[in-house]
Amino acid sequence: MQVSGGIEWVMVVNLIIWTGLFLYLWRLDRKVRALESSQDTPSLETKP
Amino acid sequence: MKRTVASAPRLLLWLWLAAVIVGAFEYAPLAAKFIGQSSRILFFHVPMAWAAFTAFITAGVYSLLYLFGRRPPGSLRQARHDRAARAAIEVGLLFGVLATVTGAVWSRIMWGAYWNWDPRQTSIVMALIFYGAYLALRDSVEDAEKRARLAAAYAALGLVVTPFFFFVVPRITFSLHPEPVINARGRIEMNPRMLQVLLASGAGFTALFFWLHDLRTRVLTLAERALEAAAAGAYPADAANVASALGARASAAPHPNPSDPRGAGAADPVAPSPRTSNW
Repeated sequence: MQVSGGIEWVMVVNLIIWTGLFLYLWRLDRKVRALESSQDTPSLETKP
Repeated sequence: MKRTVASAPRLLLWLWLAAVIVGAFEYAPLAAKFIGQSSRILFFHVPMAWAAFTAFITAGVYSLLYLFGRRPPGSLRQARHDRAARAAIEVGLLFGVLATVTGAVWSRIMWGAYWNWDPRQTSIVMALIFYGAYLALRDSVEDAEKRARLAAAYAALGLVVTPFFFFVVPRITFSLHPEPVINARGRIEMNPRMLQVLLASGAGFTALFFWLHDLRTRVLTLAERALEAAAAGAYPADAANVASALGARASAAPHPNPSDPRGAGAADPVAPSPRTSNW
């Protein structure tokens, strides 16, 4: 075991930050994909 | 099932970088000549700087593709290269700033001050200023095709400037920085465990850069399409909301579309802006 003192907490905080960032990016990726698919099938309505 | 397969590389990236974090704190030993636990920050600082370098080189390659691609500049395909170059520089600046900040924290522990005008510190800031100027250049040109051409020429120049700032300047001047992974004698004299974590981290951050770059390029494409739709007076489903949600600015005029019968694809001054439309 290399760790000592409060360094484990630094590791845990790092893991939480990375997981939160990952979930945010994943959600963003899904949103962008949904928008792309909605733009690929436009309603072709024109504003009068 | 299809969605699960598509998500697999991203889940693997999460797992990979989570393993890197655990490895940096649990597996890698502390480096000699470093104060306390400070050597652990290098498993994140060095890969971030590497990701910034990769980003700037990627931007240079896309810019060359824009300038010398087979399609004429201004065509839709070439416009994609322009957007990809811009996205790479934006993400590269993010990684560059993070590398500078983590480096400053380490510098405070090791050298007693956040900033020491060390050649490596100074050269990465010079690179950030260089690419910050790229974004300023883009914002200062109204005409879309001219903006893309000038920006591409500038970013292509970065193919020379970036390696100089990242690799040459720190090696031709005296630096307080520890030896690079491959030292002046051409050898790797790092503890094998540390090297494993560092290389794994480098691979993970490179993959993270390409994911972020892909996302940013797609967001820019959506914003541009929404602006084109607004300029044409046609509002495909959610187009106005897309432009608004993505923060598309009225000055970010779309690339000229050769197929546009009105010519030049300029925004129609009569067409309502996507922000103000109550359609």
